Amino acid sequence: MESANISLGQKTDRRNPRLDSFKFTLKLFIKNKTAFVGLIIVVIYAIFTIMDFVYPQYLGTSNINTILSFTNGVGGPQPPITGYGWWRLLGTTGYNRIAIFPAMLAALKVDIPISFEVVIFGAVIGAIIGTASGFLGGYLDELVMRVTDVFFSVPFLIMAIAFVIVFRTTLPGLDPFILALVITWWPIYARVTRGLALTIKSQKFVEAAVAAGASRARNIFVHVLPNVLSPIFVQISLDLGTIVQIFATLFFLGFAAASPDTPELGNLMVQGINYFPTGDWWPLVVPGVFLVIFTIAVNLVGDGLRDVLDPRVRR
Amino acid sequence: MELKYYIMRRILVLIPTVMGLTLLVFLLFNLVPEYMITAGLVSPHFQGAQRLQAIKIAEVVYGLTYANGQPIPIYLRYFLYLKDLLIGNWGFMTSNMFTGNVLTGIELYFPNTLQLTIFATIVTFIVSIPLGTYIGARPNSGADQVGRIFSLTGYAMPAFFLADALVIAFGKYLPIVGSISPLAHPPPWALSTGGSYLISTPTHMFVFDGLIHFFATGNMYDLQIAENALIHLILPVLTLTYGLLAGVLRYIRAGMVDSMNQEYVKTARSKGVLEKDVIKKHIRKNALIPTITVMGLLFASLLGGVVVVETVFLYPGIGLFAVNAALGGTAGQLQPQIYGVLGVTLVFGIILMLANLVVDVIYALIDPRIRY
Repeated sequence: MESANISLGQKTDRRNPRLDSFKFTLKLFIKNKTAFVGLIIVVIYAIFTIMDFVYPQYLGTSNINTILSFTNGVGGPQPPITGYGWWRLLGTTGYNRIAIFPAMLAALKVDIPISFEVVIFGAVIGAIIGTASGFLGGYLDELVMRVTDVFFSVPFLIMAIAFVIVFRTTLPGLDPFILALVITWWPIYARVTRGLALTIKSQKFVEAAVAAGASRARNIFVHVLPNVLSPIFVQISLDLGTIVQIFATLFFLGFAAASPDTPELGNLMVQGINYFPTGDWWPLVVPGVFLVIFTIAVNLVGDGLRDVLDPRVRR
Repeated sequence: MELKYYIMRRILVLIPTVMGLTLLVFLLFNLVPEYMITAGLVSPHFQGAQRLQAIKIAEVVYGLTYANGQPIPIYLRYFLYLKDLLIGNWGFMTSNMFTGNVLTGIELYFPNTLQLTIFATIVTFIVSIPLGTYIGARPNSGADQVGRIFSLTGYAMPAFFLADALVIAFGKYLPIVGSISPLAHPPPWALSTGGSYLISTPTHMFVFDGLIHFFATGNMYDLQIAENALIHLILPVLTLTYGLLAGVLRYIRAGMVDSMNQEYVKTARSKGVLEKDVIKKHIRKNALIPTITVMGLLFASLLGGVVVVETVFLYPGIGLFAVNAALGGTAGQLQPQIYGVLGVTLVFGIILMLANLVVDVIYALIDPRIRY
């Protein structure tokens, strides 16, 4: 009875090594000042993305799924700060006087979830295919590498345009964009994980697992996949901003015919370009800078993660 | 001798990739509805009942159906599609830039894109090598931080935003709109394509054609046109260069910092080589080698940027050609031209593969250790 109690006590006392490792990573990450600043900016953007309950009551509308919800009367564009009310803090566009600040926040609600969807689907598909191909080798590996070669042989933007055009004939709304970007994005993750899987495959613990009779599936999912996760996280954080950019670019190029008033950063910037010739810069520059800050912040986090997860730095 | 085998093997590896690309494009053709396929089968000159008749014939010619109207199975159609690609039957398209066979359109507009990429690459090299050397020789200094911010913004800024910002900032200082416009007084060697653009002969690149004709005939107006075309290139080239520089600088800097700690640098310093020569001859030369390996990747980003830049500046290259085809001409009045988009996809793919081949060969030439 007593011995059982002691063993129970020992169990609760035992520290979780994964938690310790996580705490150590966090400590290193916070020490890295630029990465930490990037993280704070990303968190602010995330909060903006979530808090959509604030602005409808100010604007007298509840449908934030269209840019036209943010219209404030008619007239020429209002410069930043001069307008009345916080929602006109960053100015308005002309014609409909779309208030840029809340429209930008609503745009985040479209952009950031799409970016996450693309990256996560791409990473999951790419990681599984890449790990399997690196671990199993042989003809499968050769096939996967040739397929990724094909995808890498065309610039991402052109590839995405071709897929969007094709998928738009059958899918509604923003789905063709997401699908097209996932299809163009998975090969990056497949390449990254395949290279890592090749090195992990020849390590002792995998050999031990094989000798102990672990199945291929168990080897891939339990032994190899967890060890390629951290580089994948780095890649994900670097890609988040790029995808928002490419998405905005697709809108700019005019592939938004299905949804011309979607609140989206690229769409807002396209509307802003119209006011350029008269010297009204803010409808273009404010959303543009908003997007650039997000991309830089995400990149800083990615660079910081890479440094922190690098075993040479950890020691 | 060994290099020749390496190049041959490298070309052989290219073949399955090209086949894979055509297969991918062929599969995309099979995902779109039928009206988009039939729209591009015959020349837009056929109209009404005549058009329906022509489409029926074209379906047989293009290998979509047998003569009796029965559909041909998909695996056979792929080979018929390859045959069409090889003999130049790339389908027809209608847009405000070009109307006719897609391959002819690409041949007309591609040299303009080539001109743009040539200038962007040259400017990038001229700027990045001295700048990268300067920054790389002083890691963690103020200049390095400035370079880092420059790289980061270049990477994070969408090309269309940068291009528009450049237009606001410098557009009014450049004599882009003037009396010496090829459009206002077209020279005899510029041909209209039926759309709103002029195509110059013989190389289809306005800057070089202007110079060629100036040297051939001595007509001052030709030189002025070449100069005007060059001025029109400034902002597009600047936009592309900014995006490229961000990548190149990062790699040159990393290479410099890496090779700075090598033994041969210590040796050179200790035997009394001037610091200037150490940086130029010992560090920089070795730092540029790894930079060459990423040139393929950078060229890919350059080609992607070309699409955006051409659209912003309405520069008549194949990027704008593809966007116009994809959007179906002006204000969506026409159907999307699937043949135009997929044709350009194929062309971009092949160019990029060739560029990568060239990069690999250069790398093997420079660094004799590399033989796969």
